[in-house]
Amino acid sequence: MADSSQGGTPASPGGGSHESGDQSPRSGVREQDRFLPIANISRIMKKALPANGKIAKDAKETVQECVSEFISFITSEASDKCQREKRKTINGDDLLWAMATLGFEDYIDPLKVYLTRYREGDTKGSAKGADGSAKRDGVQLGPSPQLAHQGSFSQGMNYGSSQVSLSLSLSFTCT
Amino acid sequence: MRQAGTYSGILSGGISGKTGPHSFPLARIKKIMKKSGDDVKMISGEAPIVLSKACELFVEEITRRAWRMTMQGKRRTLHKEDVASAVMATDIFDFLVNLVSEHSATSEQEEITTPPAMDLKR
Repeated sequence: MADSSQGGTPASPGGGSHESGDQSPRSGVREQDRFLPIANISRIMKKALPANGKIAKDAKETVQECVSEFISFITSEASDKCQREKRKTINGDDLLWAMATLGFEDYIDPLKVYLTRYREGDTKGSAKGADGSAKRDGVQLGPSPQLAHQGSFSQGMNYGSSQVSLSLSLSFTCT
Repeated sequence: MRQAGTYSGILSGGISGKTGPHSFPLARIKKIMKKSGDDVKMISGEAPIVLSKACELFVEEITRRAWRMTMQGKRRTLHKEDVASAVMATDIFDFLVNLVSEHSATSEQEEITTPPAMDLKR
């Protein structure tokens, strides 16, 4: 392993190698194509810690890589589902299904709330409704009737205890 | 066809600047999604929005779990070893095991040149 890391193993980024990512691409892909911005990661991490908690740079970088892995993990599962169902477009419903399948069912409810708020903000034309920090203790909005009956993709699909009937596939593709 | 065309305006903050309030840049999320597999070609407009929030929840969860490890070690600074321990201790994070163990393998190499990342210095 020692010499292989010298020789530039594609998937073995060293702990402190992130800052060099922009100019010296690892595995031929630019840093900004592989990861979400570390400042955003850092902000959310801090939110999850008590005020006296500190976060080392290596921890931020590890979480940064984990998030990309998470996106790929969920997307691949959703993509497989689309292929099985012979659909070409991965929609939000597919992602929710993938998360539920892969053990992240706790995320489903907050995500539904987030989307409902987002859409409400959308119809009112105000960006305020979809506040990025998305207060989690916000209004618990059930799926509205017209959303529910369009949820044909999720029929027969029971996301554990939380039944997701939101069709996320309506959306911008048709607007 | 022109898959980006339909909603690229939205992804770049087009419609009422909607990308602004999200935790992560949606275009970046979309890029990472597309790299997940060759069959990932078309992505609905809402998909990156869902993932943006999901990533936020994921970061919060992994951080809280890692912080518990930090506390167990009676430390105040969260290090990547804590993230690794949290991954090992959590079933739904199994898909990250290779990633974090790669890390600790690399860090063993690096200890020769850089000081260990633990709070051992004090």
